[in-house]
Amino acid sequence: MSGGENDAIPVIDCQEVTKVYKGTSAGRKASVCALDNVSLRVEGGTIIGLIGPNGAGKTTFLSLVAGLIFPTRGGIRVCGHPPRSLEARRSLGYIPESPVFLSRYTARAVLKHHAALHGLSRQAIAAQTDRLLAQLRIEEYADRAVGGFSLGMRQRLALAVALLDNPRLLLLDEPSNGLDPIGVIELRRILTEVRQSGATVIISSHRLGELERLTSDYVFLHQGRIVQFGGETPGEQAGRLQIEVLPGGPLIEEEMLAPYRPVEKSETGLVVAVDGVRDVPNVVSSLVKAGVRITAVALQKPDVERTFVRLYEERAS
Amino acid sequence: MKAYALIAETFSRKASVRFVHLSWLGIYAAIFLIPMPPEAWHWGLFLFGWSGCLLPLLLSEGIIGDDIASGRIRLLVTEPIRPAELYLYRFLGLSLQAAVHFLAVGALILLLHRLTGRGSVSHLAGFVLVSWLIFNVWAALSTSLSVVLKRAHNSMLLFIVTAAVFSLLSLLMSFFPKSVAVDVLLRMVRYTCPPVELLGSTASGRFSLLQGLGSVAHSLVLTALYGTVGIVLLGRREFKYVAD
Repeated sequence: MSGGENDAIPVIDCQEVTKVYKGTSAGRKASVCALDNVSLRVEGGTIIGLIGPNGAGKTTFLSLVAGLIFPTRGGIRVCGHPPRSLEARRSLGYIPESPVFLSRYTARAVLKHHAALHGLSRQAIAAQTDRLLAQLRIEEYADRAVGGFSLGMRQRLALAVALLDNPRLLLLDEPSNGLDPIGVIELRRILTEVRQSGATVIISSHRLGELERLTSDYVFLHQGRIVQFGGETPGEQAGRLQIEVLPGGPLIEEEMLAPYRPVEKSETGLVVAVDGVRDVPNVVSSLVKAGVRITAVALQKPDVERTFVRLYEERAS
Repeated sequence: MKAYALIAETFSRKASVRFVHLSWLGIYAAIFLIPMPPEAWHWGLFLFGWSGCLLPLLLSEGIIGDDIASGRIRLLVTEPIRPAELYLYRFLGLSLQAAVHFLAVGALILLLHRLTGRGSVSHLAGFVLVSWLIFNVWAALSTSLSVVLKRAHNSMLLFIVTAAVFSLLSLLMSFFPKSVAVDVLLRMVRYTCPPVELLGSTASGRFSLLQGLGSVAHSLVLTALYGTVGIVLLGRREFKYVAD
């Protein structure tokens, strides 16, 4: 992404977006609020993990940004344009949860077909097709009919399609579905390259461990609402300080650690809840002053998964 | 390239499309080989009914509905194309296939007629033209239905409704031949539904030049009208994740 006006415009700007699906349940009219008054502003050059339990509204959110569905209330702008405008779509690459292609087409034909839909010239189509087949390492299968492809292969092809014409915004709905470990590593490499090129990636995934290696920016959705959004998860700030001590020392009282709080305690060690790494010297110093003989100290940052579970449990209760 | 990609897709999207074209040509050729008295068949009328009215239903089945049902539409509509382009190029793909089909069938009929001397080929050029026009009207109607119906339900629905309307009108005309209400109903069907009767009369030479031109213009207006409805529906349609 080059500098200039584009940098000032958020890649995604959601203003109080609500999406209600109307349907029937047991023969009666019923509506489901998939997104409830969601506001979100995403700047360029980031990777954002979209996390939340099933039915939280992740796919609905991506579908709204991709212009596949309309909000019931509120407004969305993609790179400053309405999601269904040609300008927004030129900026967008999208991978649905289960990508489907014409089964009679080969992978190369699929790429050429989608490149043509971007309005590229014949030369550009050939160049982009070859580049993406090589980048996604699917040259070997390029001339095979897509009908025989596994889900993982279709995901790779969908990523190639989404990367056509260098989009500013990439929306990925469970992109690692069906990918083997090598495929997942490849995906990570490609997404990192995409971010380095200045594009923004919104990635919805249940593989929280994979997300953790890509980004520290998350949007946590629960029952259609954003529970948490920010540059860092609580895991980046808060943590658990695990301290191992020699047995036979003085009894560790809670007052020794004040204002910190022991979470677990045993004869050979304790775990203290801390806000961050800056608290470690204070805790250690308090214990040493009290005569405790420390043998090891380790700060455990809660991972995304633990944060996810905690947020989910908080919401559920 | 965008137009070419979408137009070519209408031909290569299903193996059945090629099969339909080939079997249609085969049927025309085979019928000539069946012994029959000369003048027993009017090839133009056969072309009009068999290819002009039935072929569009087969070629347009699931033309957009298949993509909606499979979820492929979610990839297509996030590409930088307008709903009108998607609709129009799909329709043009059908129309171009039909144009080539009618020219090929027309040439085949002429050739077989010259070789065997069987059947009547009077007004054949006119029948080729109106068959293509009626094809376009049916194709536009079917494509627009495909925007709101999944898979091949567009063609099935159109076939069933057409058969039902035709049967109902026949019954009404038999039982109430002089009823004003039936007459009004007939006129409504004549001018708002695919104009089979008007174009058929044009090709058979039963209409004056002016009436013929009027009926051709009417078929073009209907095609545009059905198409516009389809484009508006496509532009307003949501494409949710749940494919089915």
